[in-house]
Amino acid sequence: MKYLLETDKLSAGYGAMEVFWDLSLTFESGRTTTIVGPNGAGKSTFLKTLMGLIDPKAGEIRFKGQNYVQEPTWNRINDGLVMIPEGRLLFSDLSVEENLIMGAYPKKTRKSMEKNREHVFQLFPRLKERRNQQAGTLSGGEAQMLAIGRGLMEEPEVCLIDEPSLGLSPVMTNEIFSIFRELKEEKMTIVLVEQNTNQALKIADHVYLMQAGKITLSEPREAVDLKRLEDLYFARTS
Amino acid sequence: MELTAQALFTGLLMGGFYGLIAVGLALVFGTMKVINLAHGELVLLAAYIAYALESQTGLNPMLSLPIAMAVVIVAALVTFYLTNQIKKDRELNSLILTFGLGIVLTNGLLMVFSADIYSTQSSWFMEGVVIADSLFSMRSEMIAFIVGIAALGGLYWWLNHTWHGRAIRSVSSNRDAAKLMGMNPTKAELWSWGVAGVLAALAGVMLYVTSVIHPPVGHSLTIKAFVITVLAGMGSIPGVLVGAIMIGVIEGLTTTYFQSSLAELASMTVFLLVLLVMPSGLFGKKGAH
Repeated sequence: MKYLLETDKLSAGYGAMEVFWDLSLTFESGRTTTIVGPNGAGKSTFLKTLMGLIDPKAGEIRFKGQNYVQEPTWNRINDGLVMIPEGRLLFSDLSVEENLIMGAYPKKTRKSMEKNREHVFQLFPRLKERRNQQAGTLSGGEAQMLAIGRGLMEEPEVCLIDEPSLGLSPVMTNEIFSIFRELKEEKMTIVLVEQNTNQALKIADHVYLMQAGKITLSEPREAVDLKRLEDLYFARTS
Repeated sequence: MELTAQALFTGLLMGGFYGLIAVGLALVFGTMKVINLAHGELVLLAAYIAYALESQTGLNPMLSLPIAMAVVIVAALVTFYLTNQIKKDRELNSLILTFGLGIVLTNGLLMVFSADIYSTQSSWFMEGVVIADSLFSMRSEMIAFIVGIAALGGLYWWLNHTWHGRAIRSVSSNRDAAKLMGMNPTKAELWSWGVAGVLAALAGVMLYVTSVIHPPVGHSLTIKAFVITVLAGMGSIPGVLVGAIMIGVIEGLTTTYFQSSLAELASMTVFLLVLLVMPSGLFGKKGAH
């Protein structure tokens, strides 16, 4: 098994509307893959399909060599495939601390809950200050921190991260990316979806460009020519 | 003064019992946005089981709890299964479905037990208890109040401090996010219906020892539970307690100073006034609907 996670001719969408078609992507163990692309390209839908929140219309998802298409989301979580959604997918009626606790819901992570929570509070002191506040009352940036912290509580083996810089200040974006860099050094397998191409490219090992539901570029980071990527991104013709 | 104190005390005891009746409905409403209009009938079913066991075998009604719970849990889970089959507009269509189930249950009880009125044959429950030299109640009312408060407290603790309880709250807060934490939403909902069944069974046995039962009682219990749930605000457990005691006390005062036939009118009037000022209920979130 060469790839930890891969898709084969995967298609999905909402109702009759297709969002992406025939996507065959591969993700190597211990490496960071980023999927960049403009708004509405289908990046988030692709991640949600990997997690089973959206049923694919066709194609296969393989994780550790096992076909995942029929697997319910909770089984994927227990196998170590975790998604950090953008900040709107929080438990808004629960407190900040309870949101973190729910991150330790997978059975194997419950034992180390206390330790992981302290770790998250260390990474984001802001969350500790607001631990008793309802998650629904957080600012956009704080919500994003909470989503990341809660995801880390799940002790991911493969971590899918959806638009982490959305709504964050440049300073906060830098901080969050330095956390991702640490995770990368700890050999976590990361799939990062970002609009912020510059930041995303810096930590990537492999880069996909996704546009209108198709992959239009797939290259190792070293081979990526930023100018050409941007030309493609903005559909400039030279 | 003494009269007022007695009225308040009776109302308080009544309120604890009303809370017990309402909390199962509030739990399911809060977690699934389904208003179970057969809830009162489930409570009444438990009461009839206590009656059947007492009249056939002479079993103390309190000891019939395990059997009543088993039966009512099954009935609650069947209701859950049926409401879960609704694919479109579940909030609205489940009203029709559970209302129908309530009618089926009422008529089932009518068929099996006839329209006769029953109450417990054990006089132990009817004996008086005097507290602080002046406050009088029946032993059964005291027991129902204590069971009610314990059940509400226990439920509140369970929802806030156990994995199953927190999972129920998470699923009702954000279904997709709950899946991403490794929860199976259907399992969480199964738990909330099961627990609602346990609470209905407790309420039913308490109903049997404090009051009289006949088939139409289920319907009025549903209405009482629904009023308290709406008054409480969107499945809030502390809200259920406060709302239930409020209703109980108003009924107690009205019965003492005017007449018992006005009790429900008075509590409904206060209910409407509260909703006028606080449209999402006592403990409801502002802007929630």
